[in-house]
Amino acid sequence: MNCPDVDRVIDAYTDDELGPAEAAEVRAHLDVCPACRRRVTAQQSLGRLIRRTPYYTAPDRLRVAVATAKRPARVSPQRLAWAAMVTLAVSLGSGAVIRTVGARQAAADTTSVAQDVVASHVRALMGAHLFDVRSTDQHTVKPWFLGKLDFSPPVDDLTPPGFPLVGGRLDYVAGRPVAALVYQRRQHTINVFVWPSSDSGEAVTDARTIRGFQVRHWTRDSMTFWAVSDLNDTELDQFVRALTP
Amino acid sequence: MPHGAFEEVVLPHLDAAFNYARWLTKSDADAEDVVQDATVRALRFFSSLRNDDARAWLLTIVRNTWYARVSKVGHADQHAVFDDMKDERPDEQLNPEALMIQRQAVERVRRAIEELPVDFREVIVLRELEGLSYKEIAAVIAAPIGTVMSRLARGRERLLAIMNPESTTGGAGELS
Repeated sequence: MNCPDVDRVIDAYTDDELGPAEAAEVRAHLDVCPACRRRVTAQQSLGRLIRRTPYYTAPDRLRVAVATAKRPARVSPQRLAWAAMVTLAVSLGSGAVIRTVGARQAAADTTSVAQDVVASHVRALMGAHLFDVRSTDQHTVKPWFLGKLDFSPPVDDLTPPGFPLVGGRLDYVAGRPVAALVYQRRQHTINVFVWPSSDSGEAVTDARTIRGFQVRHWTRDSMTFWAVSDLNDTELDQFVRALTP
Repeated sequence: MPHGAFEEVVLPHLDAAFNYARWLTKSDADAEDVVQDATVRALRFFSSLRNDDARAWLLTIVRNTWYARVSKVGHADQHAVFDDMKDERPDEQLNPEALMIQRQAVERVRRAIEELPVDFREVIVLRELEGLSYKEIAAVIAAPIGTVMSRLARGRERLLAIMNPESTTGGAGELS
């Protein structure tokens, strides 16, 4: 790559939107070109500055207005089916439902856990309960789970790659108590749900989007991990890579 | 048809909707009106939300609502409000003097963004403050990814020029 080539993709490069091969070509050019290096640095510091500008949050009265907005009278069959499922899940206990389904169909199991973790993420963010322990120190958060869970979740310090830990809480997913670790990226919250994995083995990564939330699933050291966030997919993948060395 | 109730799908993205509307309108009151109208529309079109990206879907509705109002009233981009500093997030690790310089730089860049034409302003906000991917931005502004890229590039170029007027190469290493 030469300077005009780099110039053409400099935004995509600093935004992490280039493919690995092209990004490597850019990096190779930056190693030998101080001028382009300065331009990338300028872009990055501009980005940092922009991200410190105000993030305007919705006033409470707007939140209330939306929450109490009038619903349409018509209810679709799909919605009814969904409601029936939820009722069933509630009456049987979600754990029982998931075990039955899981015995028959692993894919459906994964989907229902994915729905579960997203629901938990939303509940936590809607002010119900985001933290039991609020600390940016992994050595405070990890011991907090001692005696509350029958396993010790790995708690990583991800401040260097830009995902500071902000706390943790006990949560209930897939019919069992789990550790929920809360990380932050700018204004975006990332919930990581951890519990011991029944199927030990290779790291299987499942990536999907549910209602606008990015969901990632993997296993590591006999633990199963689910990460949920409204962060964009590129940055959440960075986060997952940082957690799976 | 999305899973879950309307408020469960929409409320988690209400801050994103408001922030986007606030940067579009440059006014708290207008942003509130836009988001309020947008959620009424969103409720009406809720059954048409088929894919899973509720945030991009809501932001698109916010954008369309704003455009509809602007074309009716015809005063897009005319009044700018510069007095609202309440949400500025300074870097706590800096000493007081560096903090003040940074605060001034943040305020300058905020004004510079507000003065950008809305086509550039919105992609910068969606990318830097919402953290949307190019693909998601393309969906929200209903334009090809190439357009997203060129608007981001030109928007940033203008910001760098405003932030660093003496530099012709756009070097801004001392910005922050």
